[in-house]
Amino acid sequence: MATASCAEFLETFVLPLVVGGDMHVGAPIDAPTLEAFEQQLPHASVPLVAIDEAREKVLSQLVVKPPPCLLDVDDLKLAAAVHNLLFLAHPDAHGWKMSESRRAKVVACAQSFAARSHTVSRRRLLARHALLHNIFDIGRRDIKVSWWTGSATFEGQPVPPRLTRWSDVRRVHRDESRVAFGELFQGVDVASVIAALSRRSPLTLLLSSGRGAPHLHWEDAVFLLRDAEIARALAYRSIEGTGVDQQVKTPARYAASFDQMLERAPVAADVRTVLAFLIYLNCLLALKESHQMGESPLLATILGASQRARGVATFFAAPGAAGLVDDRLAAPPGLLADAVLTRRYDVHRRQVSSLLGASVIEGLAERLRRHLAGNDMLESSEPQEDGSSSSES
Amino acid sequence: MTDEQSTEVPHSLEFASSDGRLLAEPSPSGYDVFMLEQVSLGQSRFMTPGIAPDPRGVALGRYGLIQLPTLEGVVSWLRLYSAEASLDEILPAMQIMRVRTPLQSRELLLRISATSSYLMDAAARCARLVGGSTFTGTGKHFVKYRDERSPYGYDSPEIQALPAGAHLMAHSEDFTQSYAKEGELSFEKLLFRLSLKREPAATLPSEELAKDLLLVVERGLGDGVIRYLWRNRVQANVGVVRPQGQSTFDALGRATQFLMVRVAELPERILELFVSTPGIDVFRSKGSNVAVQLGYTHVIDLASCGTVFDSARFYLFWGGQADRVDVVAGPLELSAIEHLTHLEIDIEGPDKRSNLVLDKASDPVSVSMRLAPTIKPPTRVMGTLVPPEQAAWVKRLVYLLPPSVLRGHRIAVTDRGVLLVSEAEIDTIPIGNLLVELAAGLLIPAGMELVPRVAPDVLATTLGHGAGVLTIFPPNGSPFQIGEASFVPLERRAIAKLDVEEVTSVSMAYEGMGDPSVANDPVGRFALWGFQSESDK
Repeated sequence: MATASCAEFLETFVLPLVVGGDMHVGAPIDAPTLEAFEQQLPHASVPLVAIDEAREKVLSQLVVKPPPCLLDVDDLKLAAAVHNLLFLAHPDAHGWKMSESRRAKVVACAQSFAARSHTVSRRRLLARHALLHNIFDIGRRDIKVSWWTGSATFEGQPVPPRLTRWSDVRRVHRDESRVAFGELFQGVDVASVIAALSRRSPLTLLLSSGRGAPHLHWEDAVFLLRDAEIARALAYRSIEGTGVDQQVKTPARYAASFDQMLERAPVAADVRTVLAFLIYLNCLLALKESHQMGESPLLATILGASQRARGVATFFAAPGAAGLVDDRLAAPPGLLADAVLTRRYDVHRRQVSSLLGASVIEGLAERLRRHLAGNDMLESSEPQEDGSSSSES
Repeated sequence: MTDEQSTEVPHSLEFASSDGRLLAEPSPSGYDVFMLEQVSLGQSRFMTPGIAPDPRGVALGRYGLIQLPTLEGVVSWLRLYSAEASLDEILPAMQIMRVRTPLQSRELLLRISATSSYLMDAAARCARLVGGSTFTGTGKHFVKYRDERSPYGYDSPEIQALPAGAHLMAHSEDFTQSYAKEGELSFEKLLFRLSLKREPAATLPSEELAKDLLLVVERGLGDGVIRYLWRNRVQANVGVVRPQGQSTFDALGRATQFLMVRVAELPERILELFVSTPGIDVFRSKGSNVAVQLGYTHVIDLASCGTVFDSARFYLFWGGQADRVDVVAGPLELSAIEHLTHLEIDIEGPDKRSNLVLDKASDPVSVSMRLAPTIKPPTRVMGTLVPPEQAAWVKRLVYLLPPSVLRGHRIAVTDRGVLLVSEAEIDTIPIGNLLVELAAGLLIPAGMELVPRVAPDVLATTLGHGAGVLTIFPPNGSPFQIGEASFVPLERRAIAKLDVEEVTSVSMAYEGMGDPSVANDPVGRFALWGFQSESDK
């Protein structure tokens, strides 16, 4: 049972969670302690202001005008849930001190803290993302100190100076390693809490690709694509990087989740929104190569490989498949206004068609027809009605 | 009723209840004889005066009469009705009467305007819930309003003259009652005498409650609260108000004036802080000029009786121990808090005004020319005079100016400063003292004028000002003249004379402190001792 004050918790744990640095993990926070924290929250102005300002700086990378982020009880509970999960990886919480029942109790407490209401409010979503944006980057520095007669490992703990004295005489050797997110949060029960946290902040889930993040369910996150500014930030963030793999890694993850979405029973508008977003990402990749002539080296490298990453084929097949369903879906609105980009986009489409084969594209088109064919949206000529608003950017 | 039971009732009994009501007389055949007749569909003639069918065929008088045994019943009916419909519709004709029956028992009658049977249905339903009865009529005789047994209402076949001293008579199925009026109770008086009720704690606070709030702040806390709201970027307006009707007999220590702050939306965290801070009371708006203390609610929905409140006043309903209503002269005229933040004023510092004395001759007739601030908009900005200590800024500015501005300017470097003049307006240059043209070639600082206001040509003659000469009145010091020939184009001067300084770019990207890293603090052997999850509570 933690006895620290709310201000100390905010300063030593929540602030480093937002800005980085050492997050101090102590005894788990139980429900009465959190209630006490809630009472103390309005009086912890100094760390609160620091956290709020840090969160606004984080959001300034995504949106032009970040909304005011005022840390409230919901945010406090989410942070407490993360703290309790990290306690489970504490070296003092192993062995006889932590029975299965006690561990289950801590996990249940974290689960209840994480069970905040889902929201589609832009301000709240951005605020939650600013709080949890580093969650998949949390790590731990482990130090193994060995000397002539023995060794000791310190997991996120300082090494006592006595062990490193007379290093030459005692032949002290020091090995440092970093334990990543996946190793810190192990176990099925912990994964369910992480999934709950991620669902409370779908923006974090979208922006944290391939770092041990839970699987992406587009149904939970598709509404974010309807916000033009957020969708633009997502698009640019997903294809950033100079390496071929870096540019395609996140779009492939999005496409893999889209694949699974098509196997469920999604709303047709959601399918079209995600499809439009993937097509827009294809267009951005073409825009990157708009100065080049001839075939795309990126497509040749990615699609010509003997083993393709999951979702890659779906991602690149999306424009062609959408064109088979309805011509108007095949390209982002406004593409024809740029003749150079249009030419490059067509080159990409032809190259994808030859590398993937017609059967792959036709197969995806058939799956899309199940959700889109006969739907009224296909009759609409207004591109701004759906997620393709992002393509305005 | 069976035959046996009917024979047990002696006909000699007085058919009157304990409160003087004349009860229905049992018939010799054993069946009850009701005093009212049920109205049938399409019936257009009624024995009761003032009753007529409405478009739905329901027998309806001009008024509705709700009979309630106690004042608590009246308040309960008003509470119920105000929660469902607007009291403003019935308030103009509403009367709350204290009446007495022939047997001297007291009751309360609520008379409302029966504008439609829909309104009366709602009133009757509320009355049934609080143990009252509903009647309808126009003058002295009121018959029972419709119910499930008679959907089109009732008519009374035995209308009699009212007894002496009776004010009105109510006819029900099983009694007829006359009432003598003792007095009236004002609804307004009733409204302002009811105490507020505490709301359940679970409803406080929520995001909905945090909108459109009023803060009543003690004067001493004013600066702190304003600064706190401003720092947290809360849009708010503030004003000082004094409740009307305060006297020396008011509660000791009660403030005679307080700050009233209106906030459109208050973050939940700040709201909790204000609610728990002594000296700050939070009110929730219940209309344009009524507010109720947060955490309390009035028994009657105040939003449904807005006509009671004078639009020229503002009403603050206090709950808890205060339990009062403060009436403030309205409408509230509040000012934005951003104009009330803390100022640091150095009254002992130098006077910011610049006075310029032109003529110090001891001439008793002539007056000295001086520059004085004016509120008139500047006529035309012709140039700027950059003080010598800011001359280096001009060098830097040259890099930032667009080509068109560079081309249109001439510059002269004097011992009084760097003078930039242009044919076009150059008020975009943000340094120095902007100069406006008083007359051709006669420049004075923008925002100032020469007093006394002599004609420009007279002034030019006095100063020896002519063609090819610029006369400048700087904000400080005496005026000076400079020939047009001293000016060179800014482009040429910049290239030939001004040094180029290297500008370093600054990255505006956010850089955190790296990835978060877990630092495990010592937790002891009994970290989970007494650990309670939410299910344990």
